[in-house]
Amino acid sequence: MSPAILLSAFYASLVLCALGLAWRASAWFRLRIGPDARDITWSQRVAAVFRGAASALFGSRILRLLAALLLDVLLLRRLFAREKLRWTGHLLVVVGFMLLLLMHALAPLVSAKLFPGYQPTLDPYFFLRDLFGAMILAGLALLLSGRRADFPQRRGLIDWAFVTLLVAVVVTGFLFAGYKIASPRAFYRMTEQFIGSTDPVKLEPLRAVWASEFGVAFGDLKQPIDPDLMEQGRKMQRDACASCHSKPASAFVSYPVARALAPVERSLDAGRADVWLLYLHVFACFLGLASLPFTRFFHVVAAPVSLLVDAAAQDRAFSSAGRVAQRALALDACVHCGICDSRCSVAPVARYLNNAYLLPSYKLGATGALARGRLPRDEADPAAEGAFLCTDCGRCTSSCPVGLDLADLWQAGRGDLAAAGFPAPAQWVQARSALAWAESLEADSAQHPLVDADAAFAPLSAERRTFSRCVQCQTCTNVCPVVAHSIDAEHGVDLTPQKVMNLLRLGLRDLTLGSRMVWDCASCYQCQENCPQGIRVADIMLELRALSVHRLGAVRGQREPS
Amino acid sequence: MKYALFLGCKSSGHLPAYELSARAVLGHLGVTLIDLEFDCCGYPARDVSRDAFVVAAARNLALAERAGLDLLTLSSCCFGTLRHAIRFLGEDAALRARVAQALAAQGLAWSGKSAVEHLLQVLARDVGFDVIAAAVRAPSAGLRVAAQYGCHALRPSDVTGLDNPMAPTVFETLLSLTGATPVDWPRRLDCCGDPLHQANAALSERMTRAKIADALESGAEAICSACAHCHLRFDAVQVDSSDPPIRTLLYTQLLGLAMGLPAKSLGL
Amino acid sequence: MSSARQDSCDVAVIGAGMAGMAAALFAAERGLKCIQVGNSGGLLFASGLLDLLGVQPVAEGRLWQSPFEALAALAREEPLHPLARVDARSIRSAFDSFVAALGGSGLHYAPLGERNRKVLTSIGTIKTTYGVPRSMIAGADLLDARPPCLLLDFRGLREFSAAQIAATLGERWPGLRHRQIEFPGGEALPELYGAHLARALESAETRARAIALVKPLLGDAHAVGFPAVLGLARSGDVHAAFEAGLGVPVFEIPTMPTSVPGLRLLRALEGLMSARGVHRHHQAGARALTFDADGATATLELEGISTGSGGERVFARAVVLATGRFSGRGLSADRAGVRESLLGLPVQQPASRAAWHQRDFLDPSGHAINRAGLRVDDAWRPLDAGGTPAWPRLHAVGSILAHQDWMRSKCGAGLAIATAWAAIDQVTRELRGTAAG
Repeated sequence: MSPAILLSAFYASLVLCALGLAWRASAWFRLRIGPDARDITWSQRVAAVFRGAASALFGSRILRLLAALLLDVLLLRRLFAREKLRWTGHLLVVVGFMLLLLMHALAPLVSAKLFPGYQPTLDPYFFLRDLFGAMILAGLALLLSGRRADFPQRRGLIDWAFVTLLVAVVVTGFLFAGYKIASPRAFYRMTEQFIGSTDPVKLEPLRAVWASEFGVAFGDLKQPIDPDLMEQGRKMQRDACASCHSKPASAFVSYPVARALAPVERSLDAGRADVWLLYLHVFACFLGLASLPFTRFFHVVAAPVSLLVDAAAQDRAFSSAGRVAQRALALDACVHCGICDSRCSVAPVARYLNNAYLLPSYKLGATGALARGRLPRDEADPAAEGAFLCTDCGRCTSSCPVGLDLADLWQAGRGDLAAAGFPAPAQWVQARSALAWAESLEADSAQHPLVDADAAFAPLSAERRTFSRCVQCQTCTNVCPVVAHSIDAEHGVDLTPQKVMNLLRLGLRDLTLGSRMVWDCASCYQCQENCPQGIRVADIMLELRALSVHRLGAVRGQREPS
Repeated sequence: MKYALFLGCKSSGHLPAYELSARAVLGHLGVTLIDLEFDCCGYPARDVSRDAFVVAAARNLALAERAGLDLLTLSSCCFGTLRHAIRFLGEDAALRARVAQALAAQGLAWSGKSAVEHLLQVLARDVGFDVIAAAVRAPSAGLRVAAQYGCHALRPSDVTGLDNPMAPTVFETLLSLTGATPVDWPRRLDCCGDPLHQANAALSERMTRAKIADALESGAEAICSACAHCHLRFDAVQVDSSDPPIRTLLYTQLLGLAMGLPAKSLGL
Repeated sequence: MSSARQDSCDVAVIGAGMAGMAAALFAAERGLKCIQVGNSGGLLFASGLLDLLGVQPVAEGRLWQSPFEALAALAREEPLHPLARVDARSIRSAFDSFVAALGGSGLHYAPLGERNRKVLTSIGTIKTTYGVPRSMIAGADLLDARPPCLLLDFRGLREFSAAQIAATLGERWPGLRHRQIEFPGGEALPELYGAHLARALESAETRARAIALVKPLLGDAHAVGFPAVLGLARSGDVHAAFEAGLGVPVFEIPTMPTSVPGLRLLRALEGLMSARGVHRHHQAGARALTFDADGATATLELEGISTGSGGERVFARAVVLATGRFSGRGLSADRAGVRESLLGLPVQQPASRAAWHQRDFLDPSGHAINRAGLRVDDAWRPLDAGGTPAWPRLHAVGSILAHQDWMRSKCGAGLAIATAWAAIDQVTRELRGTAAG
């Protein structure tokens, strides 16, 4: 195989990878998340990052950084604290991969320099290579077998492709190693180089040993093998081969593969598997290298950066430019482990409403998509609902193994959603007056006959007897703090509680749904406590609120009837 | 006295001192607190769906029932919400059926056995004023405190059952046991404004500021809240404010200090 | 606390209007353990004025300067009237006690005496009453001399117009000026509500601004009249501050219900209940009342006023029924007749429905239906169909009683407070008697 092709392919992948990394990292300086990002330029972010890096590296915090590097980035301390199984899987994959890379892929640069007399076919390297490959597969298996979630992590096609590629790298590696162990062609190549012969008769003793103890599938050996021949062969082995070859049984995966391949070994040899299997293996590696930045596994770069940034900044005291950059970084640093989702306080609500966007990982995705201008309308509505039902409990933030400042992201996301036309219901209801909303509802009901599911949804307000006793004494209004503090008509309530009750009495519920009062109610229950007739004013108000999201939401996209 | 501690969304993340001081104080007074995998009480979900809020609340109730415990809430808001869910479940059979189905899918069930109690109730009724008085070693020298119950602890009284909703005294009694002097302030039962801070920030702020001004005018040196939301609200509105400031205290911290517990164990 | 499922007491008071509150107050003051059930919302309709007896007889519309002389006339002319069955000394003690308790709760009344007072109302009429809040008394004092006065109202505060009051009084008070001012902070609002204004005036800053607005308008006014919004919890302080700031007497004018003085009364009474250890069930009403066989204990089953759910029980040695009339649902009426809601006690009422009302709504003699109600014996015990007390220690007080028309007699508060006092007197004797015996 031509080294020139290999080398150029390698450099090409490297360049692609570097360009990809640079392009992805540039997003940290370009992507605008949060209303406060509007006024920050990319150069301000770059400056903030440099300042931050400089003060971290050349200050007293360098020790914290180093500790974070060791404990958080290399040893994944935070992940260990939260999910040990996942930590085990992840460590297996990362350590297996790094060691395989260093010891096997970069053997001429690393192993050969560190260990004089290194040969890949020599123990312990023979064993270790298989071990590292097996670690990767075992780790992947652990990671993929993780907990069942109601709303699974969203994996893109390219992410699955990358994982498949990784598996392919390891599997082709095992296949190639197994093939080579069993390959007569490889044997003869070696004997030609080191003994100067490829004559099967002359090499019979050696062939006997290599067939029985080294797994080569000659297929033309006379059976049974004479013990004296074996003895002779062992001597030849010691003289010519032993310095570079250990018994392959220690390659606990490749050796069984070799045994399994024995029946088809000669056709593989004839088909020049030594070339195409190698190409397969190596190009899979190159493809992986080139494509890494374009998958979510870019987190191998972004996550350590995020962890180091988190360690360097005390209590997340970023400058405004730094904070904005950190948000974009977070989108890439997220490893999609789903731990945040499993800790989310409103997960039961997400399940019941069947809206995944209440969960942090989905919110993160939506925040990123929105910032990139790629959030479709049918996702924006549930995303807005999720954003505004979040209780800011902070459990996602404290449980994130990569140290993302999710709380800040949610704040920013809400602002972005509002600016994009998806504010909280309390805000979008204000877009029209209560009367205009009622007219929209009426226009809509003309097209869609009204099926009053409201009775189950909002039972109190659907039951006339609830407020038929209202005598309009205005006590509810008089004790309402929201009416008391409404300082002007524009920012205050349009309908007082007593007026809402009156409209309900008159059967004009639709007129109440778009009212400010319904959303400005503080649920302090003074009205309900003081009502001389025992009317559940506040309960009704809150029912109307949920009903308004439901009914007005349905006509929100329609134009106001003129 | 054993309770499942219901922290609520605010205490754990934003006000760890409340949890810390509550555990310290209640532990000293002989109340055992068990931690279960509680989630949000459901309060914000009520804005969009009554069913969703009741399901969320019922899940917490079912968890406590499975452990054979009643719940103790630190936040008046969670207290009111959970109790409201119990009431709705009691009066609406169709809702009960829907909720039972949702819970069953999680392997849970609630049959009305676990009750929800507020910190103030547990202190006043379960522990008792005498025991608390006896535990006080270092009473504060007459610190003038305005007591903030939190709306959802008091109203509607057929749900909360905590003292006279128009003239409650239990919190003031508990405060005086620590050596503090409770002040009477006209706006003491008013809403702090926190529920509105997202929907109408300007209005919410006016409500909070009016309360603070009223407390100061009534001679209070500090506002002591029995609700994490109220406490955080009073703090938040005073950040970067030029209005005269007022201290904010948690009752568990005040009591802990009076009991002679180390300040660090109370989050101070 | 009211989370108990069962509770026991000496006396259970059913009803939290004026009569129920008075009964609970008097019971607690006598050391009786009292549990009170009911929504106190009816108090919100009070004006703050405490009528004792203003008109007797109703058909003539004759007003009395002395309520006690009116009571004497009542005793002669309508011996069945509840107020005729309480002796004058008890009535005085009842009022003194009630007003003193309110004063202790921060709601001060002008000293009670022998005379009724005349008070200006928000529609410009003049009302006869007995107990006047201190914040209103200056107006009553001026009503005879009628010196130059300034009446104010706030733009946006509904159902109160200084101009209308002045117009109604017309030539009878020539020195009465009226002005409308903006409420500080309410300038941009189309509508204002009394309770909010009252609360706002408890802030020194708002008060100062209001006083500053009024001061230049004083002129030669001997006093200034305001709608009754001068404070809610601290009405005494607010009123005093206005007087100090303006340098002249200030008087409140009672407004339409629901009024701030009604809210003050409610808060003060609830505060008294709390302070005196009366256990309140606010959102509960009585579902059923049964008496055990040996006559010692009554069992009151409660239900939620709004939900109808219940399960709580109160065991009491005595019961006071203060459930009021139709709006409080102590009595209920349909085409067939009037019923007493809780126990189905026989209700004294006109023989047929046709006799309920006079043809003229404003007929001076009033309507017979308003005099319907429970008959009681001298121990204030409602009578069953056979004419004997329904239960040895069940008492009825307040407007549920028959033979009175409190709105036309101007005796609402008197009826409530006096009968409550008398009934609790009776209960105390009964319970002490049984305890000793």
